[in-house]
Amino acid sequence: MVPFNYIIVLSAFMFFCGVFGVLFRRNIIAILMSVELMLNSVNLLFIGASKVVGNLDGQIMVFFIITVAACEAAVGLAMVIAIFRKFGSIDTDKLRVLRG
Amino acid sequence: MGATLLFGIFAFLIVACSLMVVLAKDSVVSAVFLVADLFVMACIYALLGADFVAAIQVLVYAGAILILFLFVIMLLNLDIVAARTNAGPLEIGMFIVVLIGFGILVVNLLLGERIELLPPGDSGLSITGKGNSYDLGLVLFSKYLWPFEMASVLILLAMVAGVLIAKRGKKKQP
Amino acid sequence: MGLNAMVSEVEVFQIVAMFIKILVVVMVCMTVPPLMVWVERRAPALIQRRKGPNRVGVFQFRIWGLMQAIADAVKLIFKEEIVPAVANRRFFHIAPMIGVIPALLTASAIPFGPDIELFGYVVPLTVINVDAGFLFILAISSLGVYGITLAGWASNNKYSLLGSLRSSAQMVSYEIPLGLSLIPLVMIFSTFKLNDIVVSQNNILGWGVFLAPISFFLFAISMFAETNRAPFDLAEADSELVAGFHTEFGSTKFALFFFAEYINMFVLSCLCATLFFGGWQIPFVSHDTVVGILQNITEDYASLLAALVGMLTLIVKAAFFMWFFVWVRWTLPRFRYDQLMGLGWKFLLPLGLFNIAFTALIIAWRTF
Repeated sequence: MVPFNYIIVLSAFMFFCGVFGVLFRRNIIAILMSVELMLNSVNLLFIGASKVVGNLDGQIMVFFIITVAACEAAVGLAMVIAIFRKFGSIDTDKLRVLRG
Repeated sequence: MGATLLFGIFAFLIVACSLMVVLAKDSVVSAVFLVADLFVMACIYALLGADFVAAIQVLVYAGAILILFLFVIMLLNLDIVAARTNAGPLEIGMFIVVLIGFGILVVNLLLGERIELLPPGDSGLSITGKGNSYDLGLVLFSKYLWPFEMASVLILLAMVAGVLIAKRGKKKQP
Repeated sequence: MGLNAMVSEVEVFQIVAMFIKILVVVMVCMTVPPLMVWVERRAPALIQRRKGPNRVGVFQFRIWGLMQAIADAVKLIFKEEIVPAVANRRFFHIAPMIGVIPALLTASAIPFGPDIELFGYVVPLTVINVDAGFLFILAISSLGVYGITLAGWASNNKYSLLGSLRSSAQMVSYEIPLGLSLIPLVMIFSTFKLNDIVVSQNNILGWGVFLAPISFFLFAISMFAETNRAPFDLAEADSELVAGFHTEFGSTKFALFFFAEYINMFVLSCLCATLFFGGWQIPFVSHDTVVGILQNITEDYASLLAALVGMLTLIVKAAFFMWFFVWVRWTLPRFRYDQLMGLGWKFLLPLGLFNIAFTALIIAWRTF
């Protein structure tokens, strides 16, 4: 199998794509999906680390990260629905109620 | 050798899918590529000896959460929103920092010391011989029992919050 | 030769065996939908006291209407493929494929027979023999929902979209009682691997249905909802919403959806037979007895023949459940959508949780 360094770089690339998505997209749902991408990159890192150390702790951590990501996605999407109802758009440039 | 080849294929697929997730204009295309991404990630987890987590990832993440995403996109019938063209110095600065971090890791990959993964079937990763699920269950319900219970409370909270936030307000009586 | 350095003889044998197994699984799965088309037309005839289609024949061979199924298949292939002008092309072409692939993948994880001994190697009769046996099946079948969701979206048609969203919401909601009903089985049999579960059900009193009856009840109901079959077929019934998510899909694409639905039914029937009714084992006859009987006939190929007998048993049991599917479809009226969702979330989910607690209590009581 490959050395752990390759997994680190792969995970970093996914994280990098996620950050790009959060910073440079205006669609709220695309931003949420980029956050999921970032969470997944960390998952990959944990599973790889678990294989390096020889513990199951990394896999348990991934278990909990998936749980937290599920909760956050659910609440985030509920908020998107509420926002869409109020503002009629999901373009973040149009959602400027808090000025400054 | 076969495992390395497989890992190479999966890594290439992940790179392609992640790029398409953030570069696609249509949200549905983004979501579908994210599903593909998660599925390939599950394949990598299975390759790295975590079959239970791989199955859970497909079952929960790709099979439920992203369907939720797709539902919201389809129900709200969202228009295509263009990418940001007015990125301020904050965004560009953050992006450059992350780029530098990525560069450091690539340099470490090329020049740094290699950290080797354990070979398959190592004794640390399999406590009893009965498979990954059995071992995970043992560890989850002994060492990590408290976080497990807290996670269930968290899910309950998220459920209640989701329902409350997305509910339509009561219509005012005339 | 360089190939010898890369793969050893064992691996070559296992790879060839796997290809043969894949071929067998695909051929079995591909013959199920045409047979089911025939059953779907003759069974309601039987239930409704009439004769079904029995006129189509080739050279005066009518074979009780089987030719009708072949005629239907040929008609589907020769129809014109219509893609609506406003449809989303990319997803329109991909959606049926996304529907069929998980169906076939889940079919490859089911043990069709006992392990056989060929040329000194042990060959398990499953294409995918992972440790997380039916967890894999649950995971992959949850990906089948995407075929339906994307189909409705790609059609760019209000009724298709509504039908597909209802279908997907229903399938996702009923995955939960499905999974919950299988947890007590894991507790009782202590393994996820399907072949081990089959082997544990040696005598008829050890069958899953007697050890975990509430699980069987939950699984049977969720089985219908997962495959969008009556009485849970509001989203795709002929008299509702035109045809739901596959309204706009013509010839081959419709055939693919059709195949996906029937293969899903077949897989869930096989799963039901495997988990609750002893799988490939004949009820009062153990595997060794079968091998013993067959060894009197032929020495060399006894285990192979025993495996064939096992496969036949599983197919008979699965056929019974397929008949059950058809029987229920043509007997019960369908649920309204809110009744359907209420049943899944408010009745089956608490029942599933109660079942887990109950089974855990019984196991704890028997252990201590």
